[in-house]
Amino acid sequence: MMKEIVVISGKGGTGKTSITAALASLAKESCIVVDCDVDAADLHLLLQPDFAHQEDFYSGKIAHIDKTLCRNCGRCADVCRFDAIDFKEGHYVIDALSCEGCGYCSHVCRPHAIVMSERNVGSWYHSHTKYGNEMIHAKLNIGAENSGKLVAKVKKEGKAIALAENKSLLIVDGSPGIGCPVVSSLSGANFVLLVTEPTLSGLHDLKRVYEVVKRFRIKAGCIINKYDLNTTVCSQIEQFLEEESILHVKSIPYMTAFSQAMIEGKTVTEYTDPVLKKLLEESFETIKQTLGV
Amino acid sequence: MKIAFTTKEPTWDSMMEARFGRAEYVVLYDEESGDITIHNNADIAAQEHGAGPKMAQAMADLKADVIITGNGPGENAHAVLSKMGTTIFVGAGEISVSDAYKAYQENRLEKF
Repeated sequence: MMKEIVVISGKGGTGKTSITAALASLAKESCIVVDCDVDAADLHLLLQPDFAHQEDFYSGKIAHIDKTLCRNCGRCADVCRFDAIDFKEGHYVIDALSCEGCGYCSHVCRPHAIVMSERNVGSWYHSHTKYGNEMIHAKLNIGAENSGKLVAKVKKEGKAIALAENKSLLIVDGSPGIGCPVVSSLSGANFVLLVTEPTLSGLHDLKRVYEVVKRFRIKAGCIINKYDLNTTVCSQIEQFLEEESILHVKSIPYMTAFSQAMIEGKTVTEYTDPVLKKLLEESFETIKQTLGV
Repeated sequence: MKIAFTTKEPTWDSMMEARFGRAEYVVLYDEESGDITIHNNADIAAQEHGAGPKMAQAMADLKADVIITGNGPGENAHAVLSKMGTTIFVGAGEISVSDAYKAYQENRLEKF
């Protein structure tokens, strides 16, 4: 039975993606990797996928003005709340970056010159990584935003491959924050790995994102990364984990190997630091035991 | 009671879907009449944002008294559903619809 692990952090910069990549490099071909952190996708920098298969992704709407039907009355520009319709060289035109796809212009256009169409926001890919994993990831166009829909899509593709190929694990690099994409990243997961750091914002965002995890009743574990940077906050995190019965998977000291590995485009497990490698291997074993895989 | 199940396939024999808003289908079972009706949820699952609250609206339209699902609705959808007085049971994300119904009858499901 395939199990799904979602890695989230709430706060940025805690080491979430480095740790996700490390788990993927340890799991090798037994797992499918999914990158749901699409706004600032960077997992591919470490896993170096081959972008083998590409498909366009559509989400939301965008307005188009048919010049042959337009009477230049300007009603559309008057009602647009996003100032997305400009008058240029004798024609009303849509500014694609400003258009939010609400459809108000299309609604008020008397000659029906404005049609709303699906917006191409980017592409998603099915790749093979240098560690033997198959990977589903996406790339957004400039100015496009991640959505629950895109997250659901990449997860669904990943799950389908995992089931078809009888893989034991789906490792998901979750979306940041606590909004729609995170809800979409979490739903259906068997285990959530929370990666945090001993800073006030690290603890604050951990508590905030755990509210969402708790609501979905998903089993959670936590890695405290850079634990030795602040012993006071670190013990506050440990106390929080205990109060909430969150599995304390591992505490990892501050190590420059994280940034060194990143600079070299490697995962921290591949980068030769035996201490760090061992900590991550043990973490992975703990998670696998909890999931029974 | 009208019971709504979030499912992967449009049948009573389907596996349950753990997701609420972006479930593929809703299987609706009317205990009084014995009728089973299927609702394709593709439109809501394809929403860019806010699939949960739209699903809550769909539940109101279907007049579901009880929802059986996996993880349960998110905060926004839950706010709507609790105002409607819909009873929600969770933890049925990885079993079949018929097993989920049996678990519901035997009071083995967790109330959200």
